[in-house]
Amino acid sequence: MPVRRLTRCAVLTALALALSVCEGLFPLTVLFPLPGLRLGLANLVTVYALCRLSGREALAILVARCFLGNLLGGNLTALAFSLTGGLLALGVMALLLRLPGLSLYGVSIAGAAAHNTGQVLAAMVVLDARAPLVYLPPLLLCSLVTGGATGGVAGLLLRRLPEKA
Amino acid sequence: MATPLRSSAADRTRPTVWDGLVVLVILLLAGALFAALLPKETGGSLTLLVTLDGEEIGRYDLDEAAEGTLVTIEAPYPMTIELSPRGVRVAETACPHGDCAAAGWIDRAGEQIVCLPNRLILSLEGEETTDIDVVIG
Repeated sequence: MPVRRLTRCAVLTALALALSVCEGLFPLTVLFPLPGLRLGLANLVTVYALCRLSGREALAILVARCFLGNLLGGNLTALAFSLTGGLLALGVMALLLRLPGLSLYGVSIAGAAAHNTGQVLAAMVVLDARAPLVYLPPLLLCSLVTGGATGGVAGLLLRRLPEKA
Repeated sequence: MATPLRSSAADRTRPTVWDGLVVLVILLLAGALFAALLPKETGGSLTLLVTLDGEEIGRYDLDEAAEGTLVTIEAPYPMTIELSPRGVRVAETACPHGDCAAAGWIDRAGEQIVCLPNRLILSLEGEETTDIDVVIG
């Protein structure tokens, strides 16, 4: 991997990490007491990396972000949640970006929904219970809002930032 | 090989009809799942039942228990149990074997921790989750 790409990935990883830490400072769960509810700002980096770098690099950034984020605060369970959610969101968005007709709004909303689904699935495995499934419908509804918001921002970002950085 | 994904999505400034379809699919999924979960007992909230010598001596709603709440139980061999929204465990016990403490956490409806020397049973009961509406908030 050329040094140029490597540094770009590193900067994006740091950015994703910073975004998720910032997000933690203003938890949406204060407004809606729903476990797992987040704005998903770090998803911006995933969308950007998918559109401007490659799927492989987006994956590397995501995994690095999850592991480093876990070092900053969290436990193995939190890691399982963020990895499962993040990977599922990445997969769904990589797939949808290849389809013609969608805008970043739809891609991002689907990514947010996939992330929430992944989190709930991980919770079900970790707790070995079906109980977390109860949270999925309200989380899916919230993902329409959070995914729409981050999708709009991702669109702005991609249009404003030059292709060759 | 590491080529950027050529996607037209980034060039669009407005949501498209297809985005609407994505939203519709998610809404339908959420609705279907909500409807499927509604009538069933999901065991979303747990109630801890403490039984000593066949008599119920305590009942705790674990959803309302703060993480790490310690409760001392007056039994022949006094023990301390730790409550959390996810379940319960025996934190300390004065009983000879300490098997109840070794059992660790229980977190599912129907699970039990039994302390034979004390003839004490900690059992978890699932509740009919009628509080789904509250979750949506």
